[in-house]
Amino acid sequence: MSRSTLTRMRGVPRALTLTVVAGALLAVLPWLLSDFMLSLALSCLMFAALAVSWSMFCGPTHYLSLATSAFFGLGAYVTAWGLESMPYGLTVLAGGLVGAAFAALIGVAVLHLRGAYFAVITFGLTELVLHSITYVEKTMFETAGRIISDAPENAVIYWTVLGITVLAVATAILVRASRLGFALAGIGGDEERAQTLGVNARRAKVLAFSLSAFFPGALGAAMAVRWTYIEPMSVFNPFIGFQTVLIAMVGGAQTLLGPIVSSVFFSLLTEFLRLRFPYAFLLVLGILLVVLVLYLPGGLASLFVRRARPHA
Amino acid sequence: MSASLLVRKLCAGYGPMRVLHDVDLEVPGGELTTIVGPNGAGKSTLLRAISGIIPRAGEVLFEGAPLPDRPSAIVSRGLAQVPEGRQLFAQMTVLENLELGGYLVSRPERAERLTRVLNLFPRLAERRRQLAGTMSGGEQQMLAVGRALMGKPKLLMLDEPSLGLAPKMVDELLAIVRRIRDEGVTVLLVEQNVAKALAMAQSAYVLERGAVVMKGAARSLLGSEELRASYLGTDARLEH
Repeated sequence: MSRSTLTRMRGVPRALTLTVVAGALLAVLPWLLSDFMLSLALSCLMFAALAVSWSMFCGPTHYLSLATSAFFGLGAYVTAWGLESMPYGLTVLAGGLVGAAFAALIGVAVLHLRGAYFAVITFGLTELVLHSITYVEKTMFETAGRIISDAPENAVIYWTVLGITVLAVATAILVRASRLGFALAGIGGDEERAQTLGVNARRAKVLAFSLSAFFPGALGAAMAVRWTYIEPMSVFNPFIGFQTVLIAMVGGAQTLLGPIVSSVFFSLLTEFLRLRFPYAFLLVLGILLVVLVLYLPGGLASLFVRRARPHA
Repeated sequence: MSASLLVRKLCAGYGPMRVLHDVDLEVPGGELTTIVGPNGAGKSTLLRAISGIIPRAGEVLFEGAPLPDRPSAIVSRGLAQVPEGRQLFAQMTVLENLELGGYLVSRPERAERLTRVLNLFPRLAERRRQLAGTMSGGEQQMLAVGRALMGKPKLLMLDEPSLGLAPKMVDELLAIVRRIRDEGVTVLLVEQNVAKALAMAQSAYVLERGAVVMKGAARSLLGSEELRASYLGTDARLEH
């Protein structure tokens, strides 16, 4: 469980400083690592940002969103459509804004649902966006996919994703210590009770859901240039959404550090399994998820939290 | 001038079922008003309707102006409710519960209110790091009242605060309620402990089957034969 916000506030400047310092240290990696290792680092960063932003909303409220793939894919399509007319940095920003706008739109419509209903409808919406884009591409542009030309260098992509990750972690730190974070925790405890204390639950949920969707949108736009060929089936890959949820839950969505640590662990593990067991790796990941959910519902971080507060 | 509440022809219910029928209620500012009545009379429904948790029809004036419909807007006008069954965030600490109660006030004010509430309830100060769900019933009720006070209410509505508490705890809690009233907060108290409620209130209402059947000064109701026969038992002694 989280500590009181008053004590949380005290740690904010320190946490922000640590985040920026870690970001600055990680920024030198393109000069040190081989191309393969750099792409592995990129994957770690991407999942760290996805899991941290997912936990920003879903951690305190206990909502289970499977819409990450939708935001990510929309961001990727912003790049696919806009890279010829816009600089790369601008497409990334636009991707984030499109993700946030789309989340606000569906948030207004479906955030009153809870539990499995919310999970199912966010998954369904991802499929809906996938097929809508396929349809638009086929009927209006008569194409099944798009080729991305003049992609920026790998180092530029890496720094961009690093920037998004640092921003996501900093935002998560600030949200946790803010009134919005307060409201989200109350909503997670009991929405009606939170409302009787003056929390505008609907506004808080839509705002936080939209804010948390900026990051997958921006990441989709930033990562799209890594694939030279963009098609709906690959960028709206539900695996991205599932992997995000898995990482956040295994790390402990209530905490900040949990999802970061577990994203590094999982990215390396996925890569290892993919290389060693190219056919069975999804199976192994699935079994791991089942075991973790059954035996460690609070995530890996709960092990440390429990140790820190034996009396609670 | 303390905050007064005026309710005119209030109707409310759940879905198609109407529970309250044209209820009129007047809660003078700075006073303690109590609503008593049997189980199922609609006492809790009345409080829930006033604080916007369920939809209502009719007129509700707070400090002379109509009360908004949305719970969060109502709270920000200065109305706080301590719901029946306490309704704490069981998985949060005492301190976190209190801080959520001060959601609408500014950060420096929240710290100041926190000090006051912890002074009022020293027991909560001792247990500030404990999870709310692990405390005793009386302590939880104190936390629920303390949490409502965090929002700097002008009107505090309490729904059966003595429910399920040990007699000693009931006295302690009601003494605090009286102290809150003495500090200038208007109090609307729904109670099942009729004798105790009437002894400490200025005015009282008796609610039966969703309608007001009796009202007046608490003292005179306490002396009323009719009320004593139905609620206090014929042998009831007056408590002072």
